[in-house]
Amino acid sequence: MKLNDSKRDAALLLTVLLGLASVVALSRWLDDHRPPVDTKVQEEQLYLNGATARRISLGFNGLAADWYWMRSLQYVGRKIVAVPGDVQIDSLGQLNLKLLAPLLDNATTLDPQFLEPYQYAAIVLPDVDRAEAIRITKKGIAANPGVWRLYQHLGYIYWQQKDFQAAADAYDQGSKLPGVPAWMLGMKAKMAVEGGSRDLAREIYQRMYEQAGDRQVQEMARRRLMQLDSMDQREGLDKILSSVKTKTGRCPSSWKEIEPVLRALRVNVDPGGTPLDPSGTAYLLRTAECDTAIDPSSQVPVR
Amino acid sequence: MDTVETVKTVGSPTPTHAGAGRRIITIAGNTFREAVRDRVLYNLVLFVLILTAAAVFIGELSGGQERKIIIDLGLSAMLLFGVFIAIFVGVGLVYKEIERRTVYAIFSKPVGRGEFLVGKYLGLCLTLLVNVVVMGAGVSLALIYVTRGWNPLALTIWPAILLIYVELMVLTGVALLFSSFSSPALSALLTFFVFIIGHFSADLKSLANSMGGSAARWLFAGLYYLLPNLSNLTFITPAAHGQLPAAGNVAVVILYSLIYVLVILAAATVIFRRRNFK
Repeated sequence: MKLNDSKRDAALLLTVLLGLASVVALSRWLDDHRPPVDTKVQEEQLYLNGATARRISLGFNGLAADWYWMRSLQYVGRKIVAVPGDVQIDSLGQLNLKLLAPLLDNATTLDPQFLEPYQYAAIVLPDVDRAEAIRITKKGIAANPGVWRLYQHLGYIYWQQKDFQAAADAYDQGSKLPGVPAWMLGMKAKMAVEGGSRDLAREIYQRMYEQAGDRQVQEMARRRLMQLDSMDQREGLDKILSSVKTKTGRCPSSWKEIEPVLRALRVNVDPGGTPLDPSGTAYLLRTAECDTAIDPSSQVPVR
Repeated sequence: MDTVETVKTVGSPTPTHAGAGRRIITIAGNTFREAVRDRVLYNLVLFVLILTAAAVFIGELSGGQERKIIIDLGLSAMLLFGVFIAIFVGVGLVYKEIERRTVYAIFSKPVGRGEFLVGKYLGLCLTLLVNVVVMGAGVSLALIYVTRGWNPLALTIWPAILLIYVELMVLTGVALLFSSFSSPALSALLTFFVFIIGHFSADLKSLANSMGGSAARWLFAGLYYLLPNLSNLTFITPAAHGQLPAAGNVAVVILYSLIYVLVILAAATVIFRRRNFK
């Protein structure tokens, strides 16, 4: 009797194992033979708008907002991964992110106090849909009038748009709020006087880097800061190359030729005498143009 | 030991007000034990698994928002699990006793119908309390884990947890009310509808205001006041931002809910008293 029971158990266990193995095999076959998804279907508009989603969320609106937020991140992440090469999250216009604005809009309608989607909208959306970026940020200000960071985001969008007066106004309104950091107070004047300057850009990205909660945004700000430093460095290197060319009548054929000059001017160089960009990658010397270029493998954004 | 055996030991020849409290406590304790024996608290294991997975993996997916998501997820799961327990256990509280015919034995003893219902209700509320407190502690610990140290949110979420518990108390009462005259399946369905409509109260009110005809206006206004306004008890989303509800509001909402429960239990007792168990 016991032997029969054991045999039956073994047979059942074998059935379970074989069944599971078959399920896995069939799933893999189906995955491999699934027809490619039509991009039009994939990019179909969201079924629910934020207001409807909020109404039917039965008090789980915070969780639903989190879901839309994570979906936004995954959506952008998938698009970035699909593109070869290095892409900055503030210049994703070419990726056709038409669902990003509705996703962020839904997240912020479901939970108007959720600040991260507003920041994401201010940084990623302008290159995709500037009007939506401004609308969502203004919606955030209307829902959270006491949060100075939202004015900072709005000022950033206008600054990128080179609308320095609107940016100055946004910083000005934010600077009147209680608890605002000291640097916000000076932003209005700086924006009005030196709107397009590199120093102001550096300050904007520095503040963004310090305050970003999202790693992607922080990384973008870090790279933009490196880009600004690199612009200064390349200007300096180009001046050196130009003065050598003036003196010798030709452009140096390699960095090695001017290594002593670079070392004397305390330029950061590698052991071979090649100057390094802020990410530690060697600069390229373009002898035809007699100027400096960023190596495509460098972390410093070219655009 | 089931309800009959327990009540036998505390019963006296005729139900007296003096012994009512003791009988209610006995029935409540027994209901709690029965729920534990029915492995109702096993849902805690699933809850812990969800929270652990969230704490470990959500950081990668949330763009630095793991604290908010853990609170939203933890408190929403707490509410959802609680609602399922309140509905599916609540609708069976009376029905099981009738089906097993133990109710005949109970009422042959000096136990009032109201005492029986209140005892059953309090027993399930105690089960839910244990559930909610353990889950709340789990969320607080998960928060401390993801922040790698003390986080004030671990404390500030507790008023929201209190309101979740009060919502579950109301739903348990509703489930008990329906189960006092209906089948478990229908009771579960009706209670679930009340849960849904309870979160649509604002829409009921605006519907009432927008209706032209006075009959429809009265109907929707009546539903608005008759059904529990559960959206008053929802504070999960603000809690995830570290906000605390105003103490005055919490007190009024709790008072509203307790009065509502009182009304439901009284109505359930009236209905239950008319049922013949002799």
